[in-house]
Amino acid sequence: MSTGAQLIMLWENIAMSVRSIAANKGRAVLTALGVMIGVGSVIALTALGTGAAVSVEARLGNLGANLMIVYSGQPRGTALVRTRTTNIAPALTIDDLAFIDSLPPDLVVMTSPESSINGQLKFENRNTAATVIGTDTDYPEIRNFRPVFGDFFTPADLEGRRNVVAIGVQVYRDLFPDGRDPLGTTIRMNGLPFTVVGIMEEKGNPGQDASVLIPLTTFRRSLSGSDRYAIINIQAASPDVMYQLQEIIETQLLAFRRLPSMELADFYIANQMDLIGTVRGVADTFTLLLGGIAAISLLVGGIGIMNIMLVSVTERTREIGVRMALGAKGRHVMTQFLTEAVILSAGGGLIGVGLGYAGAWGAWRFGGLAAVVSPESVLIAFGFALVTGLFFGGYPAYRASRLDPIEALRYE
Amino acid sequence: MIHLTDVHKHYQMGPTVVRALDGVSMSVDAGEFVAIVGPSGSGKSTMMNIIGCLDSPDAGSYLLAGEEAAERSADELAEIRNRNIGFVFQSFNLLPRASAVENVELPLIYRGISGRVRRRMAEAMLERVGLADRSRHLPAELSGGQRQRVAIARALVGNPSVLLADEPTGALDTHTGEEIMTLFEQLNAEGVTVVLVTHDPHLARRAARAITLLDGRVTTATALEVRP
Ligand SMILES: Nc1ncnc2c1ncn2[C@@H]1O[C@H](COP(=O)(O)OP(=O)(O)OP(=O)(O)O)[C@@H](O)[C@H]1O
Ligand SMILES: [Mg+2]
Repeated sequence: MSTGAQLIMLWENIAMSVRSIAANKGRAVLTALGVMIGVGSVIALTALGTGAAVSVEARLGNLGANLMIVYSGQPRGTALVRTRTTNIAPALTIDDLAFIDSLPPDLVVMTSPESSINGQLKFENRNTAATVIGTDTDYPEIRNFRPVFGDFFTPADLEGRRNVVAIGVQVYRDLFPDGRDPLGTTIRMNGLPFTVVGIMEEKGNPGQDASVLIPLTTFRRSLSGSDRYAIINIQAASPDVMYQLQEIIETQLLAFRRLPSMELADFYIANQMDLIGTVRGVADTFTLLLGGIAAISLLVGGIGIMNIMLVSVTERTREIGVRMALGAKGRHVMTQFLTEAVILSAGGGLIGVGLGYAGAWGAWRFGGLAAVVSPESVLIAFGFALVTGLFFGGYPAYRASRLDPIEALRYE
Repeated sequence: MIHLTDVHKHYQMGPTVVRALDGVSMSVDAGEFVAIVGPSGSGKSTMMNIIGCLDSPDAGSYLLAGEEAAERSADELAEIRNRNIGFVFQSFNLLPRASAVENVELPLIYRGISGRVRRRMAEAMLERVGLADRSRHLPAELSGGQRQRVAIARALVGNPSVLLADEPTGALDTHTGEEIMTLFEQLNAEGVTVVLVTHDPHLARRAARAITLLDGRVTTATALEVRP
């Protein structure tokens, strides 16, 4: 058959299918319902899974881009940012930091060491407790924690070991409940006078909001005396190099300490990718599970299509006989019924895509859930619906195509 | 053209065997106009179905244009039914959900003829059987005679070389029946081979030759007329 004739046949099949579906609208809708629900739920549920992962990743990114932290002590849990590090002996040396700083820029962008103690802060007659962090001027960039009012301390402050402090927003609220401009004001920290140079942005976690930041040089001279760091913050060049970088640092720091393995180490490295990996893993499992449930409902939808197509073939046995008597070949009959099954499943699939988007929107609008509809899920779900139609329409269509014309004509 | 030799068609109905065709031999030459007569149940429709490549004999041989029909594939038979044979069924066999003109278009669909051309051909054929004004009606909205004429138009629309008509005028009044007969005679004059089943001895006499069936056999009287 020529391509022209094939196109005509295809068009004819579509027209016949649409007419046959239109003749049984209610039944068609019920048949396609399974596919609609299947496709809709695949899209909406995976949107919720993806949305959850995206929102957690956004929160992690909020900690600082490509952040990697070397901690003193032994690992506890998986939290990237430990809220209390003040009670652990600082174990990281100047050599450790120098080594990390010596790594090429395609691995390490910048570093910032920090140490901290618990401090008691006082202004006029008000007292508050805060974590006092001594660090350097790269800290705001690495930790994505910046002043909103005034400034962070400067390299000159660091150089001159000045008594200047950038205070967390909670500390500001506790010490200056009247909301006054605190810049230039002197507060007392463990008895020592410090001049306020800035207020840090609100992060929503007490570890940061109830902290104050002072130059590391000042911290060492006045508050701790130790020349070790509790933490080294590292901004890696990209997420891809993080594991490689972690391995390089672990190997060298173990070598400095003459230790055989991380089990005995007095430091550990938390890597943003670990957390993102964990979150993605959970989200992927979730998505897979939801996808599986949705796929089962698609399967059920497919069986519904098969059932109705078998009924349709039986009902139209005489019609098949007439068509065959007038020259329809097996494959004509086959494609006619396949077209019908695919139109049913594609129609159901299209409505399902709409339902999926609506469901995701509803979850966001009324449930406050993060939902991100991924184009892949739409394509996969719709493609799956089409394949379902082809697969489950295949058997009834095959049965129809194998009918004997004279018996089909006699069928009552 | 059409050559049946000792064709049998039996149906097992419980304990009894119905011998619908019990050793039929007959032939029809290209361009002939042959009438098939015989009482009800004598096997006329059964024979027509075999000639029309819809059914196959249990035993015996059916040569169509020199080739054994039983040896052809289902697709080849479909092709023959589509291009070479026009079949007017005794029970019309119209699609109930398709309009008159859509029913007439059916054979053309499987030739891959485009919608517009098909529609024109079908309308022209409906006009020839006097139903131009009923082309959009569904079969259920037509009288018995009108349905029969739609079935005739459908058999003729593809310009078949053989026209098989099973009681094509059974539901028609004498006048319309005459007109259809005249149409068949015109087609026959143009070279179409016509095989016509009828109960009407008057119509049968208008055929060049009549073959009489009785209990699944060609009766001797008319068998003499069959050329060897
Ligand atoms: N599918 C079938 N199963 C069983 N018996 C059948 C079948 N088809 C035909 N017969 C039998 O074969 C015989 C011949 O039937 P056929 O339809 O050929 O008769 P006919 O000559 O066309 O009769 P009429 O003039 O009434 O149309 C009948 O006895 C009928 O009962
Ligand atoms: Mg009959």
